[in-house]
Amino acid sequence: MKFPVKLLFSLAIAAVASSSAFAQAKELVVGSSATYRPFAYESPTKEIVGYDIDIIKAIAQKSGLQIKIVNTPWTGIFAALNNGDVDLVISGVTINEKRKQSYDFTTPYFEARQLIGVHKDSNVNGLKDLAGKKVAVVTGSTGDDIASREFGKTSPDIKRFESTPVAIAELANSGVDAVIGDNGVIAFRVQEHKQLKTVSDPNFPKEYFGIVVKQGNKALLDKLNAGLAAIKADGTYAKIYKTWFQAEAPTLPAQ
Amino acid sequence: MDPILWFGWFRADIIAEYAMMFWHGLQITILVTLICITQGTALGLAIGLARLADARHSPARQICRYLLRWPSTVYVSFFRGTPLFVQILLIHFAVLPLFINPADGLIISGETARSLKQNYGALLSGILALTLNSGAYISEIFRAGIQSIDRGQIEASRSLGLSFWRTMYHVVLPQAFRRMLPPLGNNAIALLKDSSLISAIGLAELAYTARTVAGAYSRYWEPYLTISFMYWILTLGLAWAVKRLEARYGRGDTR
Amino acid sequence: MDEVIRVEGLTKNFGDLRVLRGIDCTVSASEVVCVIGPSGSGKSTFLRCLNGLEEASGGRVLVHGTSVHDNHTDIDTLRSEIGMVFQRFNLFPHKTVLENITLAPTKVRGVSPAEAKQRAHDLLVKVGLLDKIDAYPNQLSGGQQQRVAIARALAMQPAIMLFDEPTSALDPEMVGEVLNVMQTLAEEGMTMVVVTHEMGFARRVAHRVLFMDEGMLVEEGSPEAVFDTPREERTRRFLANVL
Repeated sequence: MKFPVKLLFSLAIAAVASSSAFAQAKELVVGSSATYRPFAYESPTKEIVGYDIDIIKAIAQKSGLQIKIVNTPWTGIFAALNNGDVDLVISGVTINEKRKQSYDFTTPYFEARQLIGVHKDSNVNGLKDLAGKKVAVVTGSTGDDIASREFGKTSPDIKRFESTPVAIAELANSGVDAVIGDNGVIAFRVQEHKQLKTVSDPNFPKEYFGIVVKQGNKALLDKLNAGLAAIKADGTYAKIYKTWFQAEAPTLPAQ
Repeated sequence: MDPILWFGWFRADIIAEYAMMFWHGLQITILVTLICITQGTALGLAIGLARLADARHSPARQICRYLLRWPSTVYVSFFRGTPLFVQILLIHFAVLPLFINPADGLIISGETARSLKQNYGALLSGILALTLNSGAYISEIFRAGIQSIDRGQIEASRSLGLSFWRTMYHVVLPQAFRRMLPPLGNNAIALLKDSSLISAIGLAELAYTARTVAGAYSRYWEPYLTISFMYWILTLGLAWAVKRLEARYGRGDTR
Repeated sequence: MDEVIRVEGLTKNFGDLRVLRGIDCTVSASEVVCVIGPSGSGKSTFLRCLNGLEEASGGRVLVHGTSVHDNHTDIDTLRSEIGMVFQRFNLFPHKTVLENITLAPTKVRGVSPAEAKQRAHDLLVKVGLLDKIDAYPNQLSGGQQQRVAIARALAMQPAIMLFDEPTSALDPEMVGEVLNVMQTLAEEGMTMVVVTHEMGFARRVAHRVLFMDEGMLVEEGSPEAVFDTPREERTRRFLANVL
């Protein structure tokens, strides 16, 4: 029965595609690493869902692009872009100077910042308050960098874990006093535990996520930017943001 | 610190920078291994005897079957039939919080629980998981060792008026122990290596240290080669100790 | 004569196999009883029932009036008064000759180590193995091991000695040394039950001979009566085969 179901599915997609006023000949392949909840992850039915996915779908609709999302492992995601396996990447990619030398980025679609997760009764207000307390981070992450710089690389107060969910679990069980991690993931995980809250330290540097295309693919970049601007303007963006992060969308820089 | 290169590629300065952390990691690894070998052996003996428990008359016969043999069989089957890694996570994030928890721990709660978890949480969980796991394997070694002893030895001892427990202690176990030394030694070496899995719950032992260094520098040869050598030296030491024990307790062995 | 062992209607089944089919007999103080019979006749099982190494399926065994198979009997105390010597010696291989002999007196009877050692010393003189006091069992010949096993049993100063084919596992040249020790014991007045294939020993030393076959006590009597003028056909056939 598998084949007919697949066939029906393809037919349905074809039907949707042909009904679109802006139907194009070419379907764009979107690469995303589906292990980064809530940005992109696999649902129990093996469907790729998340904030990134909703954003790119909304943009595609506005810009009249046909897209197909392909789960692409993070370690090979830029290679896939280089060799043309995927046309664009939306996968929580931080915009930085080094990457800008090799790829082109859209305007930001997410403000990434480090957040501190603590228990609700905690009086921690920022990084400085964590001195002498046990802090959990993900090994080698930005949070690890910040904690290592502040408390010393070999400080026994820093407890390193393999992933944010594990670090949050340790916090929930009072194994540590705080977790420092990417805001999107921390915020999402903290709302799963009613005894936890997030604290932001204004001194943490701001970073932005952008959609990545091959360098020089201006045609696609312009369409994506136009679509992104459009969903920001008509409130779609704010709605998606609220769906995934239960908070108002911040104002993002235009460049 | 300026990069110090050995053989043109080995960044010795990185190891030097984390030297104290490697040293503490080594101590934790040794501590965990020794504690788990001791406790695992005691537990393995108890479980091994429970699996062999039998009596001639009711109700002792029923007690042996339902309260000793069945539970111990299920116990051994569970701990040998599930991955140690899973057991560690289960104990640390699910079982231990049930008993030691600042909010509502069944055994310890409040501030004591908090400080206990923060300072020794991972150590406790790790030791508990590794002890329970190795106890299951060691019980099988004890069972096989005890069963390998000729019935005539037990009959000779009992016919002299020694009780069951005295027979076990003076006659069966010393002989079984001799035969069990090689598999016990293998088990101890496996235990030493398996202790690296506790790094997943944030215990700062050797593997954790290597992961920290790798995360900070994105270099893998230096930290992992370093701990490989440390583990290797430790396993060689253990093997040597077992050899010494075998030589010492090998007297009068007819086999 | 004082009755030391009384066996009443003793039966023993291993599953469907009926090994003992109702044995009745008594053993008196200082009596030497030899049990003979073909292989599989139940001799060893009978002997092992006397000190409770085997459970009885039916009937009972009384030693000094105490029921061996009663749940309330302190079996360890009872056994400490009944020495047993096995076909395969069963010395403790991880202990020296001295440790083999002193283990039970010190642990069960609470005899002081010094006294236990003295007693072991005397017993080793008796069985002629004093020079092996610090040897391990695997350094001894079969005959020497069996003599140590006898000394080990005697160290508990038992009232009764049970021998389960004590010479069957020995090379022929070593049988004599073990039988000599046993004969000395008999002459000193020890109560002994001996399962054996040594007909010469039985004739020479036993006060009474029991002939067993197929789990039953077929014939009993003085050695002369059983060996020279057996009443039963089965006894005659057996003796014709072994003598």
